[in-house]
Amino acid sequence: MEGLFLGLATGTACLAYCAPVLIPYLIGEGKGIRQNSLMLVVFLIGRLYGYLLFAVLAWLAGLLIGQGIIYRDLIFGGTYLVLALLLMIYGFSTSERYCPAKISSSLSEKFARLWPSLLPLVLGFFTGLNLCPPFFLAIAGAAKTGTLAGSLWFFLLFFFGTTLYFVPVPLLGIFRKFQQLKMVARLAAGTVGLYYAYIGVIMIFGGVKRL
Amino acid sequence: MSESLLEALDTKTQRRLTSTILLTLPMVLLTAFMYVGGGMPHGWRATVPMILTYVFVNVLFFQMLRTGRTDKYRAAFFITMAITFIISFMTNLIEMRGSLVLSAADMAKGETPFCHMVIPMTIIPAALTRTIIFPGRILGGFADVATMFTLWIGATLALGRGFCSWGCFYGGLDDGFSRLRKKPLIKKISERWTYLPYAVLVAIVLLSALTLSPTYCAWLCPYKAVTEFAAITSSTVVVQTILFYALFIGLVIVLPILTKKRTQCGLFCPFGAFQSFSNKINPFEIRINRDVCKDCQVCAQKCPTFSLDRNSIENGRTRLSCMKCGRCVDTCPKGAIAYHVKGTPLTFNSQRARLLFIYPAFLFLVVFGGGMIRDGIYRILLLISTGSMIR
Ligand code: SF4
Ligand code: SF4
Repeated sequence: MEGLFLGLATGTACLAYCAPVLIPYLIGEGKGIRQNSLMLVVFLIGRLYGYLLFAVLAWLAGLLIGQGIIYRDLIFGGTYLVLALLLMIYGFSTSERYCPAKISSSLSEKFARLWPSLLPLVLGFFTGLNLCPPFFLAIAGAAKTGTLAGSLWFFLLFFFGTTLYFVPVPLLGIFRKFQQLKMVARLAAGTVGLYYAYIGVIMIFGGVKRL
Repeated sequence: MSESLLEALDTKTQRRLTSTILLTLPMVLLTAFMYVGGGMPHGWRATVPMILTYVFVNVLFFQMLRTGRTDKYRAAFFITMAITFIISFMTNLIEMRGSLVLSAADMAKGETPFCHMVIPMTIIPAALTRTIIFPGRILGGFADVATMFTLWIGATLALGRGFCSWGCFYGGLDDGFSRLRKKPLIKKISERWTYLPYAVLVAIVLLSALTLSPTYCAWLCPYKAVTEFAAITSSTVVVQTILFYALFIGLVIVLPILTKKRTQCGLFCPFGAFQSFSNKINPFEIRINRDVCKDCQVCAQKCPTFSLDRNSIENGRTRLSCMKCGRCVDTCPKGAIAYHVKGTPLTFNSQRARLLFIYPAFLFLVVFGGGMIRDGIYRILLLISTGSMIR
């Protein structure tokens, strides 16, 4: 369930940061709720592929670190701690950051010219590769599971958690209070960072005891 | 001044006094019924607190009506309630359990008093598991879950987020500390921090659903420092205890003194954030008359809960977080702010909306806080006469 929780807790941030890049593609064409929802589903499928790709990579990373070794808790605990601190900086700092999906948007435009109907899928895939602190935490969490199935399951739940926030987008006039939502989302991600920092510290203590 | 003018003034004053007395009368009778309905108390130690509380409550209400000022008299009650709540809660707990320390055995027995702060955390787990994730009694006993839920629903319908200025037995603490200095030392607080309570709410609701435990109570509640605390049995409890004290000193004492704002309620409390949404369904609100307002921003400076800013003043409304304390209404130099009942015409010179609000609000304060004040005074008398607050 940790994947789902992480997704739910940080999904607001995903929405707040990535939606301004994505929504114009989704609703800018003004095609009505049914068409928009269809585009959203295609977009989310693309996003799921991106996540599953990372689930496999996370599993491979977990294999490299090894299951039985004594330093495992220390390595994962340390990773959690560093990522949690990043999440807190990301949440509590005032600097503006942009969704990595924006970087990939020029690439997406090329796709759009070649296969316009596939654009939502491509956009979805690239946001699925969104390298922000919550996403790194998800990688660490998935790698810790130790099996390919566990890693895939973790990312699937993470996907569902974050996706929940995207579902109402074509239906609601969510942008009226967008600035506020963005602020709450970032601060919530920072607060969740505190929890992960605590988990990291507990794991490090456990690792030290086992030495 | 001519004699006839003086006479007219006199008649006006007399009429005002009569109407104030008439309006106070229902409260005088209601509180009398509340306090002696179950029979007169025995012994001076029980009678004196009853009389003092009765007089205190009714004098405050009378003054509220006579002067037309709300916040000053509300705060006097609210702060007294918070202080006497701590005295009463701690002594009752010691009588009930033998100490303030909450042991694993007490938790297993379900002896933890339920508090409204837990409500937002219980909703998702209750829907998922059909259990209340709190080691307290559902019905019967000291501060049981059912009673607290009922009181909260009543307050929410009647007051909305006004609960945080008229009902919460913790709020009086940062309210009190925020009044200690004449002028604030820290004047500017970034607007983004006013969104932190909503962020803490999101985080604790999700964490409580994940861990099936009331995360805020276990880790972040500053008021744990002045109520009950877990027995120190592990390093985790040490960390938790340090957090409780740090948050209490920072958010409830130091920052309110420095900023003259209710920083715990306005910048951190997730229950408050949750309660803010009830302002949408509550019939009362605070409105600003844009025709009279001079945009001097005095109300925004005085609002202790960060509920007014340039934007909201321009729109003639408060932000969602308004706790209906009435300070802005009392301090606006132009008299441009007033209580208002949604759906009725905006008549800023009428006292009717204010009356309609303060009656249920004050009554709630009396029901919720009257007993605490009475017990608090009783404990103080007990201490003076016997050397101990415990019976
Ligand atoms: S204090 Fe009164 S006049 Fe000044 S900005 Fe507020 S509402 Fe307007
Ligand atoms: S806006 Fe006015 S009534 Fe509302 S909390 Fe601020 S001072 Fe109190």
